[in-house]
Amino acid sequence: MIAVESLVKTRGGVRVLDEVSLAGAAGGVTALVGASGSGKTTLLRCLNGLETFEAGSLAVAGHRLVAGPHPPATLEVLRRDVGMVFQQFNLFPHLSVVDNVTLGPRVVLRETVSVARGRALDLLDRVGLADFATARPATLSGGQQQRVAIARALAMRPRVMLFDEPTSALDPAMTAEVLDVIVDLARSGQTMVVVTHDHGFARRAATWVVELAAGRVARQGPPPDVLG
Amino acid sequence: MRRLGHVRAPVAAVLAILAVGGTVTRAAELDEVVRRGALVWAADQEGGGPHVFPDPEQPTRLTGFEVELADLVAAELGVTARFQQGQWDRLPLLLGRSADCVINGFELTPERRRDYGCSRPYFAYALQFVGRRGAAPATLADLAAPGPRGAWRVGVLTGSAAEQVLRARSDLQVEVIGYDGTVDSLEQLRGGVLDGVVMDDCIFTFYADRFADLRAVDRPFAGGSYTVLTAAATPRLAAAIDAALGRLIADGRLEALYDRWDLAGRQQMLLLRDAAEIPAATRRDTWDLVRDTAPLLLKSAGMTVLLSCAAFPLAIAIGLAVAIGRLHGPAWLGPVLATYVEVLRGTPLMLQLYAIFFLLPKVGLALPAIVAAVAGLALNYSAYESEIYRAGLRAVPAGQLEAAMSLGLTKWQALRHVLVPQAVRLVMPPVTSDFIALFKDTSVCSAITVIELTKRYSVLALSTGRIVELAVATALLYLAMSWPLAILSRWFERRLERPAGARP
Repeated sequence: MIAVESLVKTRGGVRVLDEVSLAGAAGGVTALVGASGSGKTTLLRCLNGLETFEAGSLAVAGHRLVAGPHPPATLEVLRRDVGMVFQQFNLFPHLSVVDNVTLGPRVVLRETVSVARGRALDLLDRVGLADFATARPATLSGGQQQRVAIARALAMRPRVMLFDEPTSALDPAMTAEVLDVIVDLARSGQTMVVVTHDHGFARRAATWVVELAAGRVARQGPPPDVLG
Repeated sequence: MRRLGHVRAPVAAVLAILAVGGTVTRAAELDEVVRRGALVWAADQEGGGPHVFPDPEQPTRLTGFEVELADLVAAELGVTARFQQGQWDRLPLLLGRSADCVINGFELTPERRRDYGCSRPYFAYALQFVGRRGAAPATLADLAAPGPRGAWRVGVLTGSAAEQVLRARSDLQVEVIGYDGTVDSLEQLRGGVLDGVVMDDCIFTFYADRFADLRAVDRPFAGGSYTVLTAAATPRLAAAIDAALGRLIADGRLEALYDRWDLAGRQQMLLLRDAAEIPAATRRDTWDLVRDTAPLLLKSAGMTVLLSCAAFPLAIAIGLAVAIGRLHGPAWLGPVLATYVEVLRGTPLMLQLYAIFFLLPKVGLALPAIVAAVAGLALNYSAYESEIYRAGLRAVPAGQLEAAMSLGLTKWQALRHVLVPQAVRLVMPPVTSDFIALFKDTSVCSAITVIELTKRYSVLALSTGRIVELAVATALLYLAMSWPLAILSRWFERRLERPAGARP
């Protein structure tokens, strides 16, 4: 499902990703760990084309990206199969919660309003926010907003979900409610890549752990091998 | 004053009224003119020849028979003449403020006799209908029935006797269109926008060589005489100027002047007469004033609303497109649109309106005045709106575009559903403020013959002499329109604050 081969990305002359290859992360839950600035988030953003790279290649959910600028058409097809959840949630503030969730299905998948809305309400129920469908994002707590963001990404029925430090902007109580949703999703068989500092979470949910250091893969393997 | 906040508009209106109302008392009498050593005379060089116009040989110098007349009159008073420029139909408003007298082909009328000091006539004019060679109407009699395009479109100098005479002729099938300059109307006639122009015959004679494709239709059909206007508050100055003219006429110096300007063929016998031969009009009472002016003012207010409401949505649509093109379009488009914005922002609205109305007909695109006005306002404001929307689009956090594109939206879908709706909400306050600015800027359109509220006020104030009352009425009309506008836009702003898709 995910393969990365000799990825090189430079920023201002510095190699932020230096010949990164991921082999074992075929499916399941991959956790990307490592110190700040080690390249975890950059690698994740490469996986759905938010960043370009100078050398190497990668394949996600059957879509291949190569070095250089990505053609918009390639990215649009890839992103239908690859969902992303951001550290800062990035909900659309001008839309209600349910409209945040239905926007992708309506505009990209051309679903009718009633079909998209029905599925959105199911997803909101799954993340425990069925009562907040008509609320504005700004009236929700951070944990609630992040759960809406997860529902929004899931509404596209992605084959792979990418999480970029989904709980680092949250306090411990809210962190727990978001991690519960992600663990629940992992158990249901969703393929995902999660950038995290939370080794406890990685041990609990990941099937494969990749540790990056200074843009290189330091170690990778099953959680007990890497995290000890 | 385009950045004036809407809250300050009423204050500005009140100040304007006070300014107009406070002018009556400060007129310079004869002794002050003598002490100063200069007679300040007002005219509009745009009015053109042979009266007052820039010397073609030396454009910084003014020439014309009235320039020489002003010199002669000033010399008779023992002072020098000093020129003051003003827009022709508003020259009388300068009296007692920045000018002592107006010498610029002002016809002696009962209304002017009532409101100003009027000298004895110094020139006899006749009104001439000018048409295109080989085009209808062939004779003045043809004007009694509609022309091939409906009512005959006839240009006049705004506020002139030609306008007054023509508007009073209900037997003629003509649409009278007021211009600020005489050459403009001749250009429009040549370009086919007008069917005719009515002007003083000496003006047409003066420009006949330059407009060889135009011709006089029949003989002049009405006439009168020019007078030197002074403020009502300066009777001794008026008497001194009148006496000076008397001496210039008696000793033949005025006749010599007209000979030199080739104007002596006229029946200048009128010059021997006295201003008092034209009776002064009586002042209408307030009720008559309201009855006569209210329908005209309301109609012109409607024109102001029409211009703003037609132009502003266009300005927003163009501005938004330009902003999106600059931020998200192909690389080559950026400099093109930046140039568009700088050209439209960096040149006066008045000039742009002129270009659209007077220059486009030269390349075969003759737009009706209202269309030209809406187009000019929309283009001018689109430059300002594009900068506001550009700022608004940039103020939307980068994560919004990334989140939308991560869902598989194309860039244009992301703009349509995510970026633009947020930018529109962000920029509501400055955009509202610009709408009110445009609302007031519509007054510039009078330069291209569109009569909106400000122009109507100025015309009515001069013809009735009720400057203060009409200023108050006009200001109230503006307020009555802009206040609901401000309330409406605040309501709209609040409505946009709510999430677009929120439904019960």
